[in-house]
Amino acid sequence: MWKEIGDREMGKIRPNSFSSQIKSNRISNLQLSNNKDIVSPHRGSINSLQVDLTEGRYLLSGASDASAAVYDIQRPTNYEGNGLIAKHKCLFSVDKQHGKGHKYAISSAIWYPVDTGLFVTGSYDHYIKVWDTNSTQVVMNFKMPGKVYRTVMSPLATSHMLIAAGTEDVQVRLCDIASGAFAHTLSGHRDGVMAVEWSTSSEWALITGGCDGAIRFWDIRRAGCFLVLDQSQSQLGWRPPVLARSAANKVSVSKSLSAGQNSLGKPRAPQKKYANGHGVKQSTIGRVPAKSSARQRLHPGMLSIQDRATAHYGAVTGLKVTDDGMYLLSAGSDSRIKLWDLESGYNTLVNFEMVRLQTSKAIQLAISQETAQVFVPCMTVVKAFDIWSGKMSLAFHGHYESVNCCWFSSQDQELYTGGNDRQILVWSPCEPITDDMDAGHTKDQDNWSD
Amino acid sequence: MSVWNYVVTAHKPTNVTHSCVGNFTSPQELNLIVAKCTRIEISLLTQQGLQPMLDVPIYGRIATLELFRPHGETQDFLFISTERYKLCVLQWDAETSELITRAMGDVSDRIGRPTDNGQIGIIDPDCRLIGLHLYDGLFKVIPFDNRGQLKEAFNIRLEELQVLDIKFLYGCLKPTIVVLYQDNKDARHVKTYEVALKEKDFVEGPWSQNNLDNGADLLIPVPPPLCGVLIIGEETIVYCSANAFKAIPIKPSITKAYGRVDADGSRYLLGDHAGLLHLLVITHEKEKVTGLKIELLGETSIASTISYLDNAFVFIGSSYGDSQLIKLNLQPDAKGSFVEVLDTYVNLGPIVDFCVVDLERQGQGQVVTCSGAYKDGSLRIVRNGIGINEQASVELQGIKGMWSLRSSTDDPFDTFLVVSFISETRILAMNLEDVLEETEIDGFNSQVQTLFCHDVVYNQLVQVTSSSVRLVSSISRELWDEWSAPSGYSINVATANATQILLATGGGHLVYLEFGDGKLAEVKHAQLEYEISCLDINPIGENPNSSQLAAIGMWTDISVRIFSLPHLNLITKEQLGGEIIPRSISYLLCALGDGHLLNFQLNLSSGELTDRKKVSLGTQPITLRTFSSKNSTHVFAASDRPTVIYSSNKKLLYSNVNLKEVSHMCPFNSAAFPDSLAIAKEGELTIGTIDDIQKLHIRTIPLGEHARRICHQEQSRTFAICSLKTQSSADESEMHLIRLMDDQTFDFISTYPLDTFEYGCSILSCSFSDDTNVYYCVGTAYVLPEENEPTKGRILVFVVEDGKLQLIAEKETKGAVYSLNAFNGKLLAAINQKIQLYKWMLREDGTRELQSECGHHGHILALYVQTRGDFIVVGDLMKSISLLIYKHEEGAIEERARDYNANWMSAVEILDDDIYLGAENNFNLFTVRKNSEGTTDEERGRLEVVGEYHLGEFVNRFRHGSLVMRSPDSDYIFLEKLQSSLRKVIKGVGGLSHEQWRSFNNEKRTAEAKNFLDGDLIESFLDLSRGKMEEISKAVNVSVEELSKRVEELTRLH
Repeated sequence: MWKEIGDREMGKIRPNSFSSQIKSNRISNLQLSNNKDIVSPHRGSINSLQVDLTEGRYLLSGASDASAAVYDIQRPTNYEGNGLIAKHKCLFSVDKQHGKGHKYAISSAIWYPVDTGLFVTGSYDHYIKVWDTNSTQVVMNFKMPGKVYRTVMSPLATSHMLIAAGTEDVQVRLCDIASGAFAHTLSGHRDGVMAVEWSTSSEWALITGGCDGAIRFWDIRRAGCFLVLDQSQSQLGWRPPVLARSAANKVSVSKSLSAGQNSLGKPRAPQKKYANGHGVKQSTIGRVPAKSSARQRLHPGMLSIQDRATAHYGAVTGLKVTDDGMYLLSAGSDSRIKLWDLESGYNTLVNFEMVRLQTSKAIQLAISQETAQVFVPCMTVVKAFDIWSGKMSLAFHGHYESVNCCWFSSQDQELYTGGNDRQILVWSPCEPITDDMDAGHTKDQDNWSD
Repeated sequence: MSVWNYVVTAHKPTNVTHSCVGNFTSPQELNLIVAKCTRIEISLLTQQGLQPMLDVPIYGRIATLELFRPHGETQDFLFISTERYKLCVLQWDAETSELITRAMGDVSDRIGRPTDNGQIGIIDPDCRLIGLHLYDGLFKVIPFDNRGQLKEAFNIRLEELQVLDIKFLYGCLKPTIVVLYQDNKDARHVKTYEVALKEKDFVEGPWSQNNLDNGADLLIPVPPPLCGVLIIGEETIVYCSANAFKAIPIKPSITKAYGRVDADGSRYLLGDHAGLLHLLVITHEKEKVTGLKIELLGETSIASTISYLDNAFVFIGSSYGDSQLIKLNLQPDAKGSFVEVLDTYVNLGPIVDFCVVDLERQGQGQVVTCSGAYKDGSLRIVRNGIGINEQASVELQGIKGMWSLRSSTDDPFDTFLVVSFISETRILAMNLEDVLEETEIDGFNSQVQTLFCHDVVYNQLVQVTSSSVRLVSSISRELWDEWSAPSGYSINVATANATQILLATGGGHLVYLEFGDGKLAEVKHAQLEYEISCLDINPIGENPNSSQLAAIGMWTDISVRIFSLPHLNLITKEQLGGEIIPRSISYLLCALGDGHLLNFQLNLSSGELTDRKKVSLGTQPITLRTFSSKNSTHVFAASDRPTVIYSSNKKLLYSNVNLKEVSHMCPFNSAAFPDSLAIAKEGELTIGTIDDIQKLHIRTIPLGEHARRICHQEQSRTFAICSLKTQSSADESEMHLIRLMDDQTFDFISTYPLDTFEYGCSILSCSFSDDTNVYYCVGTAYVLPEENEPTKGRILVFVVEDGKLQLIAEKETKGAVYSLNAFNGKLLAAINQKIQLYKWMLREDGTRELQSECGHHGHILALYVQTRGDFIVVGDLMKSISLLIYKHEEGAIEERARDYNANWMSAVEILDDDIYLGAENNFNLFTVRKNSEGTTDEERGRLEVVGEYHLGEFVNRFRHGSLVMRSPDSDYIFLEKLQSSLRKVIKGVGGLSHEQWRSFNNEKRTAEAKNFLDGDLIESFLDLSRGKMEEISKAVNVSVEELSKRVEELTRLH
């Protein structure tokens, strides 16, 4: 560490690579925290975890006992064990006792991305509720046609306040907090939708993963979905060698006109002269698999409805877009993890080592961009895989029962996991104990699940 | 105290990051363009060397700098991109000598993660497109249209994840890039891609090469006719093209920079990490490459950029040492080096630590920095103002004037020093023993006061007294001719150059004489309406011996007039206004009796005066005198605050001279005292040399090793530094030392070597309660190769005895001691995650030891610590600032408040009881305030962010202190208004916005700067034209004069 600090002082390494080096270093040393403890008030399995996006300070959890709770992960409520173990009790929790609370399990609990004044919960009782954090009162209710599996809000959105919800129903609904009504329904899936994720590069792009095994991309300003991922479509032979290219080009040019307007790379502020807008757009669509000529006459949005391509055999149970907005990771009930190139929609064919995943429940994945790792709940263990090679780099043994959700805080380089054993565990970079007086305290805090 | 902060640059950046050579200012002129972090400097190559043309700030950290020439243009354009994703194309406007913006834009993307290895910006050799690699996995293309205009940009997906370098290949039909990258298994390869502009995609290129040297880091594209690319590794250099592959092994080295020598690309200069300069030659038969050869040329500063200028002249830009202009000789010198250093350009960076000291005890701070790195490490003593190094002095009271004279016209040195008093004139001369003694010049009248003296052509001297002008031979020293003032009139003022003399007598008579060989001829006489107060005919323009213009200051109407010579026709008249009398004029400067100085632009051909500016130099009458130093002419303004006036970058600059009061001054360049000045001050005549003319004076103490930490101990008059010495042998072993230096001579007087793997991390001079001694405390860390984070360190306590470091006590710690502070008579150390307080205990046997008292956990790494009273401010590796308090009764340290933002800190300082300043990893500054009046625990426990600002420089250390004696109070609200008006009037180079540049920016968010003022922008008010000043004056509703005065006061801050 001292060496890196010295190199940063003299400008030998750039400050941003300094921080990413240190982060990667710390992330590769993640282990069950020996000094930080989250005290879970839940009496059911933990289904959802999220740290707020503004301050990185408040953890929100949702559990099967219809309760949700908020913890301050920066400031402990008290200390135990000679002041060495920081206890984080929940700041408040809402459960069935709350007059307007949920009746059945909360499957999803998320923060309003702009500030911590609101949070949103989705439940198996068919309701999505919006809560005022300060008064812990429900300020808005959305009645859904079936069990709510997942609710998400766009971290980028500046012009809409939409909650996208995946439910038992085949339609994905967008609930507008601004008006308190449904903004749209997105039709295309043939079964319930367990996984929903907003794009991290465009506030209009939404990705959904259904129990029908399909992953669909929507531009919420337009009808229909604009891309359906196909597990058989890979990037092999994507860039033809010089000699072969003239033939290949013709194909791609004609294709690029087919599905036209939608893309993830939205041009942003118009004053940006060299914004990437059109470039990305056209090259994105340029590689969408060719459709038969008969279909091309249809409305591009309608056309995609007929696309029955699948991303997984079985249900799609988890989705996560990388922070840079260029790749998507999906998990399916076929116990596969797949990495997709978002620009082209190709299956990258990265071979993730065999895992066993929960099949009946949505799982929440987490990504560490610095180290290019994805954290996947694999039954009772959380495993970290290298995104590019698919190799498992770390395994986190700690939960007694299946893990449902994980959240990675890049700011603190900490991983939070919640499972059916009703525990929320904190995994943090191991810290050598430097105190002169405290030898022997920590042994009993070690990985106690093995 | 106010929450406002005024940030101003005392010394411009000196670290050369980029450089390029081309025909930028005109098709015939060859320019060197140098980027120094946030500035670019354009200079012209002349016979005499590099001549500066323009030095401008860029509102951004320069990430890439390239010259290119679009089709149909006769000179080059400059392409710049900044680290905050702005880019601009600049063109030289020969008429105004300014930069015009051809194009500008923002190339940031929402998707993508910024590259770790820095940005790459390259231009196709055939000018078809600009290529940018800014984010991992993306290659941005900005195509040119047929007229050389930029078209809309697009991104191409780059599948190689870890890109090390990208270059365009020469001689390809379609624009083709070559990519050097590292794969998942850490092997390195190159690959080529053609850019298909129409399809906006890549097509596999003509060739690729797998499994290169593991240290391959740099690509050099080879121009036609050879084409292809050179791949520079740590152990091999490879030439690669579609049909050839040649490799040679080299001595292990990391090549940092290259410069192409020939246009055909057969020779290259390579600069490595140890500062060795190599010549790489591609041997070829016609267009077929036959091999590579490499030859060591010699040693330079560690190069960050190399630009081959012309005729074996090379510019070496350095980030770690001084930049250099070198010449490559055909024959090696005695040491076998082909490198001859012609000029060096001071570089203070990287400053890893510094201390503010008052060595002369004058109340004026000096900064001693740990500068440079590796072999170019040095200490630099930076102080404000220009020093006079006294060589000799004589006690002489009542000096009224001084002039130096030569013994013959061709003599390069001055011999005589004429010193005039109220009723006599004395002549001093250098005798054969180089001692100044009184002498006689027979032809001079020494019984009266001398008004003026000068050397005259044909080996003559002239003396002007109130009654006559005496022309004297400088060889025989006899009077040759004399012109007497008409009876009843006496000469009041006179001035002369080598061929002309102008004098004024009472009654407004102006007489113009010319010197002949042994003769004085009255050429012209004029009668003016008022008495004349001062005159000047200093030659300006082509002829160094005579002037076409005369400047004349008048009493009564207080005006300055420009007359033509020899006809004495009035050209311009300028009213100076006020009740002050012009006393002394040197071409465009006009000094007033109340210490003010007016300056004008003087048009040489027409004699017109424009651009009037007024500055205040002191309160006493000023006398002006020109002198030259280092081939340029400066003006010395003698008054109660002596100042040197000089011009740089097309504007006049004023530098304080570090002397109290000077009544007269004249240059005195004698053989014994070359380039000296004779200075009359407070009853004393001093002869001394003057420092280089610049505002801040920098003295360099080369160490040959890398100083990392410094501190000063006043009691022992020593500095102690932690330094590391790199063994010159190839195995790169390092030695870490604690050095003691004398604070006057800067000699090493004692050295304490640290253990193997032990690094010095912090150093402090302090004393403890119940002990009168002053100690040096040093914190160390054992940095073991297998450990991520040090788990062991030491605190060493030294006392200086007989000029030696004596180890008094040592205490082992469980981690690196990142910081040490004196705290309530105890020692506060930051050790890894912990803050630890140590008591200084007396043992029974009379020896002393450090004993730990209490500590505080809960940091990721406590890197930077400052204390004030019982408060401790900690800057964490990644968790911003926290405030701790020491509770005496409980003997415990507790957290009081913290800032919950995730700032990666690089320095902290306490501004006052409530406000703390921090610098973070993304070149930002911010201030936080303690909120003791908060109503809830939550509020009290949170440090409120009150100020944010993008500095654009990486801050390693804050220290309290000042380079000047006093600092004025400022009205920040007014200054903010002024700043926002200036933003509208001053356009950033390349159309970059000042507001955006100064906005706080990190990975998570961007926020407008608040409670910080950019002093550099505010002070640039003084450089504006009158028209623009008036525009601003209107906007802020304050007169131009008042504005100038207030801004000038601010410039005195530094």
